[in-house]
Amino acid sequence: MKKNARTFYMMVIPAFVMFFAFHTFPVLLGIFYSFTNWNGFAQNYDFVGFKNYLHVFKDESIYAAYGFTFQFAILTTVIVNVVSLTIAMGLNARIKFKNFFRGVYFLPNVLSLLIVGYIFNYIFSNMLPNFFQNIQMKDWAFNILGTTEWAWLGIVIVTVWQATAFNIILYLAGLQTIPTDMYEASSIDGASKWKEFWHITFPMIAPFFTINMVLSMKNFLMVFDQIVALTSGGPAKSTMSISYLIYTDGFSGGSFAYQSANSVIYFVVIVIISIVQLKYLQRREMNL
Amino acid sequence: MITRAKTANWTITLLIAAGSLIVLFPLYMTVMIAVKSPAQIAESVLAIPAEWHWSNFAEAVRMTNFGHVFKNSFIITSLAVVLTILTNSFVGYAVARNIKKRFFKFLYYYFVSALFVPFPIIMLPIVKEMAYFNLNNHTGLIVLYVVYGIAFNMFLYVGYLRSLPTELDEAAMIDGASVWQTFWKVIFPLLGPINATVGILTCIWAWNDFLLPLIILSKPDMATLPLAQYIFQSRFSVNYNVAFASYLMALLPMVLVYLVAQRWIINGVVQGAVK
Amino acid sequence: MKKTLFILMVAVLMISILAGCASSSNSNKSGETKDAQQVELQFFQYKPEARDTFDKLIAKFEEQYPHIKVVQDNPPDASTVLKTKIAAGEIPDVIANGGDNVHAMLATSGVLADLSAAPELKNITESYIQILKDITGTDEVYAIPYGVNANGVIYNKALFKELGLTVPATWDEFVKLSQTIQEAGRLPFYFTFKDSWTTLPSFNAFGASTQGDQYFAKRKEKQTSFAEGYKEAAEKYLQFISFGQKDSFGKGYNDGNAAFANGESVMYAQGVWAISEIKKINPEIELGVFPYPVTNDPDQNKLISGVDQLLSISAKSEHPDEAKLFIRFLMNPDNAKNYVQGVNTFSAIKGVTQDDPSVAELIPVFEKGLVSDFPDHYIPSSMKLDQLLQELILKQKTEPFLQSMDEAYDNSLNR
Repeated sequence: MKKNARTFYMMVIPAFVMFFAFHTFPVLLGIFYSFTNWNGFAQNYDFVGFKNYLHVFKDESIYAAYGFTFQFAILTTVIVNVVSLTIAMGLNARIKFKNFFRGVYFLPNVLSLLIVGYIFNYIFSNMLPNFFQNIQMKDWAFNILGTTEWAWLGIVIVTVWQATAFNIILYLAGLQTIPTDMYEASSIDGASKWKEFWHITFPMIAPFFTINMVLSMKNFLMVFDQIVALTSGGPAKSTMSISYLIYTDGFSGGSFAYQSANSVIYFVVIVIISIVQLKYLQRREMNL
Repeated sequence: MITRAKTANWTITLLIAAGSLIVLFPLYMTVMIAVKSPAQIAESVLAIPAEWHWSNFAEAVRMTNFGHVFKNSFIITSLAVVLTILTNSFVGYAVARNIKKRFFKFLYYYFVSALFVPFPIIMLPIVKEMAYFNLNNHTGLIVLYVVYGIAFNMFLYVGYLRSLPTELDEAAMIDGASVWQTFWKVIFPLLGPINATVGILTCIWAWNDFLLPLIILSKPDMATLPLAQYIFQSRFSVNYNVAFASYLMALLPMVLVYLVAQRWIINGVVQGAVK
Repeated sequence: MKKTLFILMVAVLMISILAGCASSSNSNKSGETKDAQQVELQFFQYKPEARDTFDKLIAKFEEQYPHIKVVQDNPPDASTVLKTKIAAGEIPDVIANGGDNVHAMLATSGVLADLSAAPELKNITESYIQILKDITGTDEVYAIPYGVNANGVIYNKALFKELGLTVPATWDEFVKLSQTIQEAGRLPFYFTFKDSWTTLPSFNAFGASTQGDQYFAKRKEKQTSFAEGYKEAAEKYLQFISFGQKDSFGKGYNDGNAAFANGESVMYAQGVWAISEIKKINPEIELGVFPYPVTNDPDQNKLISGVDQLLSISAKSEHPDEAKLFIRFLMNPDNAKNYVQGVNTFSAIKGVTQDDPSVAELIPVFEKGLVSDFPDHYIPSSMKLDQLLQELILKQKTEPFLQSMDEAYDNSLNR
């Protein structure tokens, strides 16, 4: 039996080492760089203590990136969940061609977000402006990606189009766990559809709601591909996300160490949010 | 209620059908642009063309070196899937069967907690590290998919293995099988459904990923399909027909896989998220 | 059902494998010709406009030197990609950048080989070598200037004739001209601010002609500020932008080249590098270029000209000799001529002329020496001047813009 125990260790030690080397170690390395003034490729660098951190807290463009990223993530999470729950309930109803529609709605999940972004870029930049031009609504004939007021909407639309699929499937799985006799009981009581939803459907799928909220939020906070395909953070930094800022500035702006400090702060923020979110949503689930 | 439930609800069917048009529209548009000449696009983007310009695809293949790029994506994705299933499964097995021991419990939480680490903090240093180990190539990319996959797959495998009775292992070991033999001969064949889930999730991720290839792959001829679309953006210029032909070819393999394996994919994704 | 599924899966797999084999057999073919000394040079260059020209020159080079294979890499957002590569220690053997802050950073970080003693420099116009020294702030030279650009106003000659217009020499004439075009119901300028860098070429002209002498040397010592030195530039720039189309932030560089080529605007605020792209779309178009008339004193209105393409070698290249061979090949007068013809810029090499009629008007300007380097080559890229300019145009307020310029400049010195 002792030999067996050793084999079990043999099974996990390589994975542990690899994971440490390619995941944990870079995190530590990033924290290390954040205390230097390295530009990413010079031979030498010095330690500068907390200087980078102090500057990050004074940097307007970093605040702007946090502002955009969080507004985007919260708004998109809400829209995606409302839309996908609605569609999932539709798909769960007695409809024709159920499997066909389920297949259609889930298709975007397997498509590359970057390429979907390029396709929508054409819609926003060429198709819609031309369309409004042709129907003589010239005030609408502009590219929303070119305005600081509306560029975020383009990013939201692409994200909702692609991400709803995943959430629909989860909600659908949740809805299918509800036994139909629960509804029958309520319909005898004469409960309205709206009440039925809040008193039966929603509590029953609450765990799926939790998963969807946490996963959506986590994914949307990392928004990157859509930005590359649609706006490159513009116009005038209005759609600059944190991931994209760290990528472009960390390598291109020569602020390798500075953006490392930014990413360490982001790490801390995400961990706090994740813990709060999980605790809050789990408590709600129990109360329901 | 009961009688109404048995007949199809046409109002909802119509609403759902209308909604599905929103999903299908961009894809329809992609196909239409990809088969038209610039003049036909200027005339109408959405109309079905009188003459189909298949030459756009030939042009896109030539321009983006599609065969080569497709091969890159194919090799990376298939190796990532196979290696992930083969390695992550036994790591999950070892953890699941020893979860009461302190080290394995620690490992479980260590891997799973990595899910909360945002990628940006790894982004800058991993470029340095991969270059240092000469892994800024396909091999390195595959290694990262397999290793980063552990965080989530640990969840899946441990959850699934808990539902398999330990009597199975014990019976095999009493017959004199070693741990490895038990795993490969008895346990692994039973992991079919969860292996499918892991494989599907890894496949979708690796095929469509853009950020890791962007920062890890050091030479242009190593590009994967999404990365190649990015690299050739400026080369397409305003030749939207060629650009869209290229997008379509990059999307098509996943669409085909989806059409063939739709049920498994949907089940797989549900399993992946619910566990 | 299961059976058909299985067959389909197998079919997909087969097709994929076949596709894989087909392309791998291609790469094998090139592998067979490889002999022991086969060398592959990684050639990174940042100008999308020069890609086709370099492809042709590389083909010619590989014919002459069959043992060397040159791989051209020309990604979008080239400077980010290049720095990512270099941060990863994957330095291309030959790097063809612009003479700008990216070059300065690479040179001072020890990425590039010192070429001060290279014999090729003898054939280069002295002033361009000086520009590189100014940019890097060193006495050593880390690159060989190759292409030289000019950044003025490109105009459509046919449309000028049709509207009875003449080339303006002063700011007042320039404003008047643009108004006349508007009154005639035409569009003076087509702007493409969705690509943020396209805000820069014209702004450089406004800055260079109004900032005064030795501006950046003084700014570094904090003897002056942007609020002081760039006030006029920012104000005039905004007036100039008002002559563009409505949806200028919705369009990108490629859209702009196509629109101008098709006569949608009378003028186009781009450097001469755009000419080759415009002519690809409309080979018949007749073009001219004039310096931005930023002030009312024609002798103050400078043509912006910088090192557009330089050739540098990685300090750690494994094939320095082959890299030099490639550079020497590009510097050959015939090839250099092919290059400037293809890209429509000027050559830094003595005796290699640009004969394209569209830029003929610029030659006397060069001869008079009314030329200034791009001010933004002295502005650190972490300042993100392009995005600040987008903000200026959208908000139409110069003061906050100048203030952010000063703050961002001081911040970048702190990093």
